[in-house]
Amino acid sequence: MLLSGLLLIPFVGSLVLLLWPTGASPQRLRLITIVILLVQLALSLVVVGSFDPAAAGMQLQEHHSWVPGIGLDYALGVDGLSLPLVLINAALTLVAAVITRDIDKRPRIYFAMLLLISGAVNGAFLAENLLLFFLFYELELIPLWLLISVWGGANRAYAATKFLIFTAISGVLILGAFLGLALFTGTVDFNLTPILSERLAMGSQLTLLGALLIGFGIKIPLVPLHNWLPDAHTQASTPVSVLLAGVLLKLGTYGMLRFGLQLFPEAWAKLAPALAIWAAISVLYGSLAAIAQTDMKRMVAYSSVGHMGYVLLAAAADTPVSLLGAVFQMVSHGLISALLFLLVGIVYRKTGTRDLEVLRGLLNPEKGLPFTGSLMIVAVMASAGLPGMAGFISEFLVFRGSINVFPLATLLSMVGSGLTAVYFLLLVNRAFFGRLAITPPSGDAVEDGRLDVQLAPVAPRETFPAIALAAGVVLLGVVPSSLGRISEVATTALAAITALPTGVH
Amino acid sequence: MSDALPLPLQFTWLIPVYGFSGMVLSLPWASGWIKRNGPRPAAYLNLLVTLVAVIHGSLVIRDVFAVGPQHLEFAWFKAADLDLRLGFDLSLTNLAALELVTSMSLICQVYALGYLDKEWSLARFYALIGFFEGAMSGVVLSSNLFLSYFLLEMLTLSTYLLVGFWYAQPLVVTAARDAFLTKRVGDVLLLMGVVALAAWAGSLEFNDLYVWAAEAAKQGLVGPLAGTLLGLGLIAGPMGKCAQFPMHLWLDEAMEGPNPASILRNSVVVTCGAIVLLKLMPVVAPLSPLATDVLLVVGTISALGGALVALAQVDLKRAFSYGTTSYLGLVFIAIGLQQPGIALLLLLAHGLARALQFMGVGSIIATTNCQDLTELGGIGTRMPATLLAFMVGGAGVTALVPLGGFWCFGLMLNVLVPSHPLLAGVFLLTNLLTTANVIRVLRSLFGGAPLPKTRRAPECNWLMALPMVSLTVLVLLVPLIMQRIDPVPGIAAFPTMVGVAVLLSGCAGVLVGCLLPKDEFWSRSRQPVVRVVQDLLAYDFYTPELYRRIIVSPVAAIARFVLWIDRTLVKGLVDGVGRLSLSTAEGLKLTISGQLQSYVLTVIVGILMLLAAFQWFRVA
Repeated sequence: MLLSGLLLIPFVGSLVLLLWPTGASPQRLRLITIVILLVQLALSLVVVGSFDPAAAGMQLQEHHSWVPGIGLDYALGVDGLSLPLVLINAALTLVAAVITRDIDKRPRIYFAMLLLISGAVNGAFLAENLLLFFLFYELELIPLWLLISVWGGANRAYAATKFLIFTAISGVLILGAFLGLALFTGTVDFNLTPILSERLAMGSQLTLLGALLIGFGIKIPLVPLHNWLPDAHTQASTPVSVLLAGVLLKLGTYGMLRFGLQLFPEAWAKLAPALAIWAAISVLYGSLAAIAQTDMKRMVAYSSVGHMGYVLLAAAADTPVSLLGAVFQMVSHGLISALLFLLVGIVYRKTGTRDLEVLRGLLNPEKGLPFTGSLMIVAVMASAGLPGMAGFISEFLVFRGSINVFPLATLLSMVGSGLTAVYFLLLVNRAFFGRLAITPPSGDAVEDGRLDVQLAPVAPRETFPAIALAAGVVLLGVVPSSLGRISEVATTALAAITALPTGVH
Repeated sequence: MSDALPLPLQFTWLIPVYGFSGMVLSLPWASGWIKRNGPRPAAYLNLLVTLVAVIHGSLVIRDVFAVGPQHLEFAWFKAADLDLRLGFDLSLTNLAALELVTSMSLICQVYALGYLDKEWSLARFYALIGFFEGAMSGVVLSSNLFLSYFLLEMLTLSTYLLVGFWYAQPLVVTAARDAFLTKRVGDVLLLMGVVALAAWAGSLEFNDLYVWAAEAAKQGLVGPLAGTLLGLGLIAGPMGKCAQFPMHLWLDEAMEGPNPASILRNSVVVTCGAIVLLKLMPVVAPLSPLATDVLLVVGTISALGGALVALAQVDLKRAFSYGTTSYLGLVFIAIGLQQPGIALLLLLAHGLARALQFMGVGSIIATTNCQDLTELGGIGTRMPATLLAFMVGGAGVTALVPLGGFWCFGLMLNVLVPSHPLLAGVFLLTNLLTTANVIRVLRSLFGGAPLPKTRRAPECNWLMALPMVSLTVLVLLVPLIMQRIDPVPGIAAFPTMVGVAVLLSGCAGVLVGCLLPKDEFWSRSRQPVVRVVQDLLAYDFYTPELYRRIIVSPVAAIARFVLWIDRTLVKGLVDGVGRLSLSTAEGLKLTISGQLQSYVLTVIVGILMLLAAFQWFRVA
């Protein structure tokens, strides 16, 4: 019942919010949401507590027939691959709710959608049935589309539509692949059974896997399917960006590991070299495109494109260490990108701009945002893979696990890691170092020489979620065994699937 | 590790932690949570923990003398076939380096109290110094490539933050950026090496790596290309840390940071880089002869190039920072020729003497608020302690009088003359140029009549004078220390002729230094050839321009190109599809006539076709 609780709490909470008597102030609604999410986080921790890290396979399973005719079962389970992501989901949704302070319209629906997304994502991570996964995967789409298109920036309609169309195509491809699997194998059993694809000829395996890869590749996103992401991020409000980058992109990588690698091990092994190259291209493309950005949020968005490429590289290499690295990278990217978006959000709220051509000297101790700036330095260093923080150990595991299998792609991805330092250092140097300014220089020396910029101070409660995230980043970087212990058995088992001689059919 | 070990030994891992804890302790003041009593408490707390580190270090040395070298190891992270461990090697060499690091940090922190007297963000400075010290003490103790890499990167970060300490100044902004990126390039290359070694050799303990490298070289486990790339990757990290050509520019720019940090950077940080290289050498040498050659070439270029460029600098700090590059070039040669003992002695002599030089520099800057040699002069009688520091420090890094430098050069030359006479020439020439530079700066600062900025130049305050004078004494004692550390074969184990040759090169340097025209305002030569040479050296062989052309511009161009692809091709395609579907819809809209008959007809035709299709399927 534990896992169902993880679905029930957000879904029921969402209903509660919608049915709450009218007249509740946005603050009251926010508070209710936060309480519900705290309960969800607590329950997720209970799940961690009752999870046995030493055991392979799905745990805490729940299985009920739902629509047997089409093979849709209500089957939930959790393993070392999904458990960290469930935790990240609970934590980051909570962060998103906490940092929602200045909601201007329809707070009730906003918070209800937030909870709905969290529940749907939990469902997707926990589903043991392909159709059930697909249902949740699609369910998360509409609330997010609303969050962008109602509470977004000026160009939100364009961005939201683009997001909707891209992700809908992704959903269609995934559903197609799942149905194709049933069609080709002639069964309507959509339960997650690793050996299902073995009965298929290689040609149909490759077709199905290809559809899955493109479908999840849109979600991750991989170059050149990434076009929706920068727009969605730029137009979405800060909490939505946190959720999008921190949690929703992980649906793509999770799906790729769970349904790509695990269902089609043979075809995966065939495609792996191409996937590794694809990953390297994605990493380099994302990093280089980030260098040329002048909007802070777009820069962070492109960095996401680059950093999610590491997960594909690790998945392609498919060794125990690299797959563990993939889980680490998912978690650390979730924390770090959430932190980055959060801080960019604070800068935007205080200065009214995210333009790197305009912002200068924000570290200024009395008039600027010194504490936000310091946290920003922590965040960019973590993202650039400085040791002692989560980014380093994740990248190290990914590279160490992949270098023997794909040396060239790994080395190229490491170059991408170096480029991360370039663009994020440019960000810090441009926006935070130098003399404080938040308007473009007018050319008039006297005018520009005035020091009358005074940014509103950042209240401790505004930076508190950022501090918590930064603490998480450092904690994971210093004590990586905390996560390693949970995931190691699962990732090793996953790597073993492909290592087995599968030529029995 | 047995339980019977003395407590100080068992807890040696705490020594790096002291430094880091200093950072944490300073945070309340650095972040402005505590404003009531100024930032001084943070400084005192840091001094205290550093003092504890020094004392703990000396206790460990005492114990190691009693029970012999020890090895401490802790499991950190283990997954599948990967086992990352943190190891500390408590050998006398490492502990000597540790004492050098912690005591230099202590001295610098006292000095900084005086130098940064009125600095409003003193607490932030001490927090960063604590971080710095923690990382450095870890690096020198580390017995494990993974831990070394881990801490080297932390050094990169703290260098960035220390250089960027006065982040509002435009030159600091670029300096911090360049320091970080240059080192980061080296670090990423080193990381490639570390990752490759982790995958190939398994364990990252240096001792295991030595065994593996010898084995791999014997059995040809690693191909020549892979071996060469690995070797080059491994030496790239220390090259960046030690500011060797062509990754040397950052050290010059880093002089924009506060001087106490410059003291540490020029003395002990570069030492850390060199020590890591020293530990890596037995891995690099068997696998990649090319990397060893590269080390020698880079060392030679840095030694001579750095010394030449230093001669043309009019900025007081830069005149010495290029000297660091130059001297570390000599250390690289020693390491490349597998003379670890001499390399360590060179590092010791250099670390102390260079720190003393920079303390003198700080004293002058703090007093005159000026670091332009052309505007300084005639302070010999006014600042006697500083003069002494300059003289002793200068003597320590050169081989003119029998201080540390002389004995090291003698030992090294003794090794070089039979096997590598050319490199011996490099040593002598570098010594000549360095001596010339020391003399040039001395003349410029202390000789002549007082200039406007030096008319009122009292000696620096006691918080700076005390560490400076103590260090002066220490530098004078360096030969004794070296004799104690390295009793066999003794520091004078070279023929008299070699000593004479070294001395002669020093004397020639003095001569050149005296003959060089003094730097004065508008002192550019009228002769075009001299001018070209002067500019070439003053602008550091136009390295910034080279960086810009060879690295920065291409990367920026590629980035712009990718952006163009992203905007035009990817986004264009997506938007194009969108527009196409919209315009198609617009077109189709016109086909709607609004006549009911035609709709009914369409529906009927559709149904008929559907039925026909079903029929056909059934038949089939």
